[in-house]
Amino acid sequence: MIYHAPLKDIRFALNELADLAAVCSLPGYEDCSVDLVDAILEEAAKFAEGVLAPTNVAGDKGSRWDASGVTAPPEFKAAWKEYVDAGWVGLRAPAEYGGQGLPALVALAAEEMWCSSNLAFSLAPMLTLGAIETLHHHASEELRALYLPRMASGEWTGTMDLTEPQAGSDLAQVRCKATPDAEGRYRISGQKIFITWGDHDMAANIVHLVLARLPDAPPGVKGISLFLVPKFLVDADGSLGERNDVRCVSLEHKLGIHGSPTAVLSYGDGGGAIGYLVGEAHKGLAYMFTMMNHARLGVGVEGMAVSERAYQKAVEYARERVQCRGIGLDSPDSVPIIRHPDVRRMLLTMRAQIEAQRALACYAAAALDRAARHPVESERARNQSLLNFLIPIVKGWNTEQATEITSLAMQIHGGSGYIEDAGVAQYFRDSRITSIYEGTTGIQALDLIGRKIASEHGRTARTLLTEVVVTVEKLHAIGLASLANNLGLAAAHAGRCVDFILANYGDDPQLPAAGAVPFLHLMGLVLGGWQMGRAALVASQRLSDGDDDVAFLRTKLMIARFYGEHLLPRTHGLAAAITDGAASVMALDEAQF
Amino acid sequence: MKVLVAVKRVVDYNVQVRVKSDGSDVDIANVKMSMNPFDEIAVEEAVRLKEAGKVAEIVAVSLGVKQCEETLRTALAMGADRAVHVETDAELQPLAVAKLLAAVARREQPGLLLLGKQAIDDDANQTGQMVSALLGWGLGSAASRVELSDSVTVTREVDGGAQTVKLTLPAVVTADLRLNEPRFVKLPNIMAAKKKPLEKLTVAELGVDIAPRLKTLKLAEPSPRKAGIKVATAAELVAKLKNEAKVL
Amino acid sequence: MAILVIAEHDNLNLKASTLNTVAAARAIGGEVDVLVAGLDCQDVARAAAAVEGVARVRVADAAIYAHGLAENLAALAVSLAAGYSHILAPATTFGKNFLPRVAALLDVAQISDVVAVEAADTFVHPIYAGNVMATVQSSDPVKVISVRTTAFDAPSGTGAAILEPVAAGGDSGVSEFVSEALIKLDRPELANARVIVSGGRALGSAEQFHAVLDPLADRLGAAIGATRAAVDAGYAPNDYQVGQTGKVVAPELYLALGISGAIQHVAGMKDSKVIVAINKDEDAPIFQVADYGIVGDLFTIVPELMAELGQA
Repeated sequence: MIYHAPLKDIRFALNELADLAAVCSLPGYEDCSVDLVDAILEEAAKFAEGVLAPTNVAGDKGSRWDASGVTAPPEFKAAWKEYVDAGWVGLRAPAEYGGQGLPALVALAAEEMWCSSNLAFSLAPMLTLGAIETLHHHASEELRALYLPRMASGEWTGTMDLTEPQAGSDLAQVRCKATPDAEGRYRISGQKIFITWGDHDMAANIVHLVLARLPDAPPGVKGISLFLVPKFLVDADGSLGERNDVRCVSLEHKLGIHGSPTAVLSYGDGGGAIGYLVGEAHKGLAYMFTMMNHARLGVGVEGMAVSERAYQKAVEYARERVQCRGIGLDSPDSVPIIRHPDVRRMLLTMRAQIEAQRALACYAAAALDRAARHPVESERARNQSLLNFLIPIVKGWNTEQATEITSLAMQIHGGSGYIEDAGVAQYFRDSRITSIYEGTTGIQALDLIGRKIASEHGRTARTLLTEVVVTVEKLHAIGLASLANNLGLAAAHAGRCVDFILANYGDDPQLPAAGAVPFLHLMGLVLGGWQMGRAALVASQRLSDGDDDVAFLRTKLMIARFYGEHLLPRTHGLAAAITDGAASVMALDEAQF
Repeated sequence: MKVLVAVKRVVDYNVQVRVKSDGSDVDIANVKMSMNPFDEIAVEEAVRLKEAGKVAEIVAVSLGVKQCEETLRTALAMGADRAVHVETDAELQPLAVAKLLAAVARREQPGLLLLGKQAIDDDANQTGQMVSALLGWGLGSAASRVELSDSVTVTREVDGGAQTVKLTLPAVVTADLRLNEPRFVKLPNIMAAKKKPLEKLTVAELGVDIAPRLKTLKLAEPSPRKAGIKVATAAELVAKLKNEAKVL
Repeated sequence: MAILVIAEHDNLNLKASTLNTVAAARAIGGEVDVLVAGLDCQDVARAAAAVEGVARVRVADAAIYAHGLAENLAALAVSLAAGYSHILAPATTFGKNFLPRVAALLDVAQISDVVAVEAADTFVHPIYAGNVMATVQSSDPVKVISVRTTAFDAPSGTGAAILEPVAAGGDSGVSEFVSEALIKLDRPELANARVIVSGGRALGSAEQFHAVLDPLADRLGAAIGATRAAVDAGYAPNDYQVGQTGKVVAPELYLALGISGAIQHVAGMKDSKVIVAINKDEDAPIFQVADYGIVGDLFTIVPELMAELGQA
């Protein structure tokens, strides 16, 4: 299935909405420039289109498991080799370990293309980078020096081993054990499930980051430590030694992302897997959370990226499929279905949300870069708060909408969309996991109303909504009344919902919790609308400056208007449910379900 | 030995070009531009020759607007050592391109000039042949295989098969599709390409007359596909394919 | 003013492309001379002299012209250029190789792949892979033109041109012929084949699939494709599959045999230049995209087609 990287819109989001040039000027990014990013994205697009996209369907056949381990789809193995040879694993890995150390904003743009072209594949580098980031921040210099260069090059991959059968969203229940041995190492035993790329034959070694409890650990989340457990033990010179006592005992049978093996890992069946403590004891969960923002942002990108691919597929089909005469036309001839109003409505519903989500994700990534690198402490703090606020929204909203968008793509295909041959069903299946893993939407929403609103008394929320109102005023000033009015109303709804949350969180937290997911949706719609408003202001300005890219800029304006007229009104219903419907959620006796 | 590789910035092969409504030109404003795919093959061949130890230096050259720098950066990321950009906003027809390339070749004195057999915009398939004539060098056009030693042996794609010629050096070789498959550029090389030298030249410095010889009177899109017809027999089908469709 | 056409031949036979090029020259108007440069090529010269509308055949018979090396042939053409308003060659690999050298040495432009003559100085030729037709006017004293042979019908009548020997020039000394391999190449790859013969489930079995398609593909120098249904049924290997889940192709000629025309398949071949469909079902959707269709049993029509092609 052909994929065309939407480089033009990606560049627009990077340059016009996320201010890539400003990010490139942050300390440590001196080697980065808008021109260089252009060149990188061109090549990333070629790679995604030419290598990753063509293996997406093959990967859907899945990996093979036997007692000796997991065999990845052969097409993936070949693609991984090319990916590693081309150096893409190192895009945002730290320069001191052989990576390029590029901004998160740049990496995000490339990651969109990896995820669009082949979501299942993209998880291998994504997880590896998560592991690199965690080790970079928390592991001893010795561990870093030994492992990070080989992970940043892609010679070895990484995994995140959190979940256990009884410990899903609630990691306080983690039971895996770590026992110190005589040599200052630890013996790990227990079972981990849902380990993405937990075993495979694409790379020479796999570095598992495992949450486990020390014998003296206090109960709950404060007693969990983080361990590095390699699949093959590593000698001091980096050469591979014997097989560690960790094995993949089965693979899950999933709805989608079949190319990515989801492993059940058993530690310590032969006496204990050798592991190394990362950082200090009992701080494992906190360490995991340092990379959680980036990981959750990444999953938000996954949702948007698969939506983009599904949209492209739907447009292609809608142009080609000739069916039924045109409504209101005199001619009896059948027309391509893209001329039917309802098909257009579906396509625009997809596209408007994708563009808004891309912009919002880029905006968040720029905040991530500034939070990490800005020379002024107060700016770092401000951007950290902004990022913290945006993460659950980007993660939750992008991925929830991916289900709607990929479903619309299937709908446009009619009956043939439900047939696997058409290819669109894979996007629907693949995207479904994104609103579940790395924290379900429910978890994201509770994070949003609790840590991101109630505990800071709504400060960031109100600051953002004030900025939305400024954009509304600017939109009015240049005559984009429809978008301005819809965005203004939506922002007002959001403001009332923030008030509602703050008013009730202390005394009756179940009330805001009942509407937490609708509120997350509402905030996604409003902040996405804000980005579309900002995009419209840029497009309008550029047109009046005589920019000759008229078709692109006018399209941007029209998409923004559609967003205002079709998506922002959804906030009316959401706001009503949040503020007026909370009580009924808990009213029913449990026995009546 | 030094190899000079010429690269042209063209409308990306995925873009379906449209003629402007007044028929004066094709509308390529704001469309995606890329390195001519045949030139990409030429660069790849040069890099392979260098990797094989037969070439010491690769110089990429491009002629035209400012943005040709991007095309040159791509060539540098693929493995060229330095770049020469003859910058001009003027329309360059193949004869003018050949003259400019000949002038650059006289400055650079390469052992081999490599370029694509044609550019996918004007589809002229002329430049390599012309520059070889202007320089008095041997020509291996439409190459599917290049063996370089103290001479160059070129296997050429010809109708119905392959022809092999041996050329004394310096020579001009134009790349055809099957010569190689260009590699994907490595990320560290993109970063490094930014720091490689890129020299700017002007048409005036090279002292070349680039005045166009052909005037475009009109551009039009070909008439759309005719409605299909049914034929009764195989004989009728073959006749139609030969005489009407002209594909046999 | 006269026009010089440079003949394509293999020292034994005049290639048909030369006739199309003469036709293009006649469309421009003026006396037409043909240059035959080769080794022991007198038969070719006589054949050229018998082409309708040719006034003079100029024959350069020497070893340096034996293999059409661009350097020597271009030098010869340039030495004869005086007195000609136009110099034409077919836009085949033969013409493409040397003709631009002629233009460069004369310091004139070349117009490539001409498909129509509007005036003696104005021509139409395709650019952007045939997506745009350009009409261009030349201001050069000599117009050097390569001719898209399919655009000009060969002259049907006969002629009696005079034969005139031309002295051979010197060898360029920069190139030499090594070998030629005009053996049939292996079947072309689907992705860049000029002709594709493709089969569907109607072929019935793997044996029949190959029995019907292989000889036809060999005859046409075509690649073989298959529908998803034929691949799933095991008639053809997976890499034959044309369609949305297989390869997307755009050959000059696509022959769809026993293919109904499911959307998934059509999506993979709809950009072919000419589509031919042979199918029993006259309502098969494939006929909606086919330029030429035959309703009938492919097991009887394909052998007939082979017989017809055999006469070509």
